[in-house]
Amino acid sequence: MNLRPHHFILWALFIAGMLLMPELVGRGTLRTMIFACYLAIFAISWDILSGRTGYISFGHPFLVGIGAYTTAILTRRYGFPVEASIPIAVLVTMFGGLIVLLPALRIKGSYFALVTLAVMELMYQLVPVIRPDLTGGTRGISRLPALTRGAENGYYLAVSLMLAVALFAWLLMRTRLGTALWAIGQNEESVRGSGLSTTRLKSFAFLVSAAVAGLGGAFYAHYLGTITPRAFFDINVLFQIIVAVLIGGAGTILGPIIGAFFMVFLLEWLRPFLPGQERFFVYGAIALLIYMYQPKGIMAIIDSGVARLRGAKT
Amino acid sequence: MLQIIIQGLLLSGLYALIAMGFMLIFSIGRTLNLAYGAYIMVGGYIYFWLSQQLGLPKLIGFAGAVAVGAIMGLLKHRLIVKPLKGDAVAVEISTLILAVIMQSAVVLVFGDASKILLPIIPGVVTISGAQVTYNILAATLMSWIIILALYAFIRGTHTGRAMQAVSMDQKGAAISGVDPDRINMITWAISGGLGAAGGVFFASYTQLSPNMWVAPVIISVAIVIVGGIGSIIGTLIVAHIIGFLEIIIVAVWAPELRGVFTMLLIIGVLIVRPQGLFGREEH
Repeated sequence: MNLRPHHFILWALFIAGMLLMPELVGRGTLRTMIFACYLAIFAISWDILSGRTGYISFGHPFLVGIGAYTTAILTRRYGFPVEASIPIAVLVTMFGGLIVLLPALRIKGSYFALVTLAVMELMYQLVPVIRPDLTGGTRGISRLPALTRGAENGYYLAVSLMLAVALFAWLLMRTRLGTALWAIGQNEESVRGSGLSTTRLKSFAFLVSAAVAGLGGAFYAHYLGTITPRAFFDINVLFQIIVAVLIGGAGTILGPIIGAFFMVFLLEWLRPFLPGQERFFVYGAIALLIYMYQPKGIMAIIDSGVARLRGAKT
Repeated sequence: MLQIIIQGLLLSGLYALIAMGFMLIFSIGRTLNLAYGAYIMVGGYIYFWLSQQLGLPKLIGFAGAVAVGAIMGLLKHRLIVKPLKGDAVAVEISTLILAVIMQSAVVLVFGDASKILLPIIPGVVTISGAQVTYNILAATLMSWIIILALYAFIRGTHTGRAMQAVSMDQKGAAISGVDPDRINMITWAISGGLGAAGGVFFASYTQLSPNMWVAPVIISVAIVIVGGIGSIIGTLIVAHIIGFLEIIIVAVWAPELRGVFTMLLIIGVLIVRPQGLFGREEH
């Protein structure tokens, strides 16, 4: 991607718009946006690994969940301050991902997806059983310390975290490393042929992805105030993360953000008509159509639209 | 002890049936059909709707479930798998989305609450101290009949052999005069029908709920991967290993740990021996 001045202007406008949002919309919309920001963070995390290298992770809720559970257990059970528990949660997520999922990176394609799916399901079944005194069993842990009070502050926190993560991912992908990761997704054999260690590259992508997921999960847990196994290690969470990336556009920075906001707001608008889980019917149908018609997502649709407009002008 | 053996055999037969339909698709297209669970769920719900809500004869309910499952299989192949032209990642993702769509469609039509399926055949029989319902006995017998019929079909008929050929080498099969497209369609239809039939039995074993599809998919995946892709015998053996493991764990340990060993088995085998215990080498 070549950087032009108008890109900076657009980003500045986007960031300014995001920061002005609390002045423009009500509390309820703000809460929806907070959720969208966290979903965007998880989506960026998924995209760093799966969107670039093509190794589809079905276990991302597992990483998000470790981050959330670590900080919850540390603050509620051992009285750690939040400032200490969140960095620890990030480290634990990286470590947990490392021992469980790194062996899985040796295996390819569908099998990697399967192992990660099995890991997520394993956690869902294990968390309520093993040490319920720590994890709170199926009821989870409640009354977590909050980071800020009020929707407005929560919104600023979520937006700045999302923008920081996006900036970090963007910087990372501009290095040669980002190019190499993308190349793995295109043709892993030829990357190995050119003398790079694909294992090391994949492990690195995985660690970064885990760190971002853990960070997002930890902040999200403190925002929610309660966590349960169902809210994290669940196939619907996985669905939301993956669909956010795919709808927006995999392999881009803005794509997962657009996808997350699109997804969360569509679900919110559907709520008056379909209050429960039925909303996913409409949502899933739209997601499937976009995916079948344009696998590169909304980003590509916008790009081709812009190109068509430009073409019409000249 | 006897109780464990009987229950293990019954559950394993059911698992073998469910895994069989998944195995067909996985061995032919190498496509991870995550929406396979949707056949199971839809099969159960169609049977429930026809036989319990409309009050039609049970046989019609069962036939209706299998027919809808087969049609779903065909549609999925036509509308999703074929246009994606064997892109494994795209198929995985789109079938995951489809599974969630089907789950919410069921919520839309039948509501969120789980439903109890009346036993297909009511009554209880006591086999040397172990209580077994006729319902589960019938389900297991039917599962075995279907599995044996499928085995005979794959081994004995021209179409069945063509399916085997396509699963081993699509191009080679095409050169020797097999139409892979037609075979694929037949396979998807059979897989859908098998899944729906398994779903009727599975639902009568547990109950109907909108998220009942997740566990059978993971169990099928585990059985097929561990058993080795394309190996019917491997599938049968591993279905029994997993069925017995679950029964033993529930009986002597804790019911909550039921699925844990299935997950550990699939993770362990995939990492150590990705081609499965009884599978042939992939190239």
